[in-house]
Amino acid sequence: MILNKRARVNKICVQIILLATSFLMIFPLLWMFLGAFKNNNEVIQMPPTLLPSSVNFDNFKTISELFPIGRFLFNSVFVAVIATLLQVLFCAMAAYAFAKIKFKGREIVFTIFLVTMMIPSQLTMITLYRIFVGLGISNSYLGLILPGTYNALGIFLMRQHMSTLSDSFIEAALVDGSTQFRIFWRIILPLCKPALATVGILGFMSAWNTFLWPLIIISDTNLSTLPLGLSKIQGRWTTEWNLLMAGDVISTIPILIVYLFTQKYFIKSLAHSGVKG
Amino acid sequence: MAKKILVIVLCGILVISSFVGCGNTKNTSDESTVQSSTQSSAAAASETKAVAPVELSFLENSANGGQEETLKTMIADFNTKNPNIKIKYEIVAYKDYYTKLNTLLSAGKAAPDIFEVGYENFGQYAAKGMIKDLTALAASDKNINTKNMKKLAYDAFKYDGKQYGMCTDYTGVVMFYNKDLFDSKSVAYPTASWTWKDELEAAQKLTDTAKGIWGTVAPLQTYEFYKTIAQNGGSFWSADGKNVTINNKESVEALQWMLDKSNKYKVQPSFTSDIYTQPDADVKAFIDGKIAMFRTGNWQFGNFEKNVKFKWDIALEPGNTSKGHHFFANGLVVSKDAKNGDAAWVFLKYMSTDVFATNQRIEKGWNVPVLNNEEIMSVYYKKTPPESKKVVTDILDSLVLPPLGAVPDKWSEVSKIVGDELDKAKFGKATAQEALDAAKIKLEELIK
Repeated sequence: MILNKRARVNKICVQIILLATSFLMIFPLLWMFLGAFKNNNEVIQMPPTLLPSSVNFDNFKTISELFPIGRFLFNSVFVAVIATLLQVLFCAMAAYAFAKIKFKGREIVFTIFLVTMMIPSQLTMITLYRIFVGLGISNSYLGLILPGTYNALGIFLMRQHMSTLSDSFIEAALVDGSTQFRIFWRIILPLCKPALATVGILGFMSAWNTFLWPLIIISDTNLSTLPLGLSKIQGRWTTEWNLLMAGDVISTIPILIVYLFTQKYFIKSLAHSGVKG
Repeated sequence: MAKKILVIVLCGILVISSFVGCGNTKNTSDESTVQSSTQSSAAAASETKAVAPVELSFLENSANGGQEETLKTMIADFNTKNPNIKIKYEIVAYKDYYTKLNTLLSAGKAAPDIFEVGYENFGQYAAKGMIKDLTALAASDKNINTKNMKKLAYDAFKYDGKQYGMCTDYTGVVMFYNKDLFDSKSVAYPTASWTWKDELEAAQKLTDTAKGIWGTVAPLQTYEFYKTIAQNGGSFWSADGKNVTINNKESVEALQWMLDKSNKYKVQPSFTSDIYTQPDADVKAFIDGKIAMFRTGNWQFGNFEKNVKFKWDIALEPGNTSKGHHFFANGLVVSKDAKNGDAAWVFLKYMSTDVFATNQRIEKGWNVPVLNNEEIMSVYYKKTPPESKKVVTDILDSLVLPPLGAVPDKWSEVSKIVGDELDKAKFGKATAQEALDAAKIKLEELIK
């Protein structure tokens, strides 16, 4: 009985700590959602008020008058989805080669791939930009998508996963006269679903949030992604914080939905890779 | 589950409403083009016959945050007047502007033909030879009358005696004041002859701690600082730019004065209070009638006109031994690889001096044009509030340019060094003397 009581007290303590922590995590998000419904004066009120005085969609209306939000949303979704699909495919193909096909210099090439993870993307930005200008694909969807289709971390994660699969699947298929691509497509890929989900989710998140690259490569408003388009809400001297928050809400909701549906995989993927975004 | 549905429905509404918005944007933009073509005057129309058809790219930031349509109207007007020159423009948010500009410039042929730079950044592009020397173009242009422009503004974009750009506009910092607060305490309004002492005396009468009303509010950062020390005869550098004078008696006194208003006289909120640390809290406090005298820029005119419920006006800033004001000047420059320098020059001239363009800047409350034309400027002055709008151009008589010294290409470093030391003084980590001594040592290292 006493033991039971102590366990209950422990449990309550843990619950309180967890609740407090989750409140800390959620508060900024909550603040943004509520701020999106306040007016320009209310949002910078000192001392701050939590709830908006009236619930209306004026801020959303204003920004959709100022910016082609629908177009931004489409661009963001289009670019993120295509880049993610390609990234998953390319990473899986490269990982298969690194894990299951023996060729000369494999380990060296793989190490070089891993080394690229250490180079911050800002460092390669100018070079990459010059290459893209040279190829004539700056200011285009292709220019937006292409850099997101490759990810050394993704290759690494996939390779680690594939290495755990038994070679006997492949040997059996080879004996039956299957091609390497068929083995990859029909046997290996279906066995890699958890790793595919991990790479896919991480890829989608980074494609959705990326700002610097679209800023550099895109000069046409009609090709702007949400983060780039919405950065223009903030002026040099004055910022309408209520509009800024409404814009942030718009760009947060899609990723929130993706998260709601892939929550299970997402948590697994974090445990799997130990990294976030 | 209910939550999920709610989120999805909300999102759906957003998407639909944004598509509706899309249509709206198109409508308004069409209108503005029509408007501009009917309004276009033939002032500089005959200019471009010599120029072959060309498309120029133009990168800028100052239309961001509300003046996008104004710029569009101006460019549409330019295109009707100069059918051979097509301007393809792009507006980037100020905070990301230089990141993008510098990347584009580093990639050579993708650089914009024409781009906007602030006066304080202009030097580094000129010093590195990234922009075109326009001296010859300006000299051979018979149509341009540089007397039409405020000399100071025109000369601001000279480097090593050569003309590298054209100043298009500026925004100035002045002293805003709440007339109702002055009236309620029977204090005389600020005048041009006011000194720091007058400001302090008035602020002491106006400060009302019980009601949370502050006599005066001035930010303390690099820009505000270089201007304030000039009001006391101080400066960052010696005249030839070879020595650092930032810790001279005049400058230390000026910094002490800026600190004392908060710490000693208590006529200004503490630098750790919300008014200074929260975004836009000072602006909000002025709107709420909690600040009697407030130093800020003319970019607040529109905001105050809309939201301020009491009578307000602007005045020149009080000086100590001399007057001093600062501004943020914008100009256009031409990239060294620009396709067609002549055409670019025509555009630069249009943006600075064209009557229609200038009127647009005034009418839409964008910024202050640099035209030296009383007729046009009187339109600007008449657009009230504030009543004393002419103050915005009067500041040019006592203007203090950003102290670029002998290192015009290193303004961002200078600005950061001084800013960091000022922060130490602001938050009580160093005295005024200590902070400026430290700044001197770092600045000396920088110019070595």
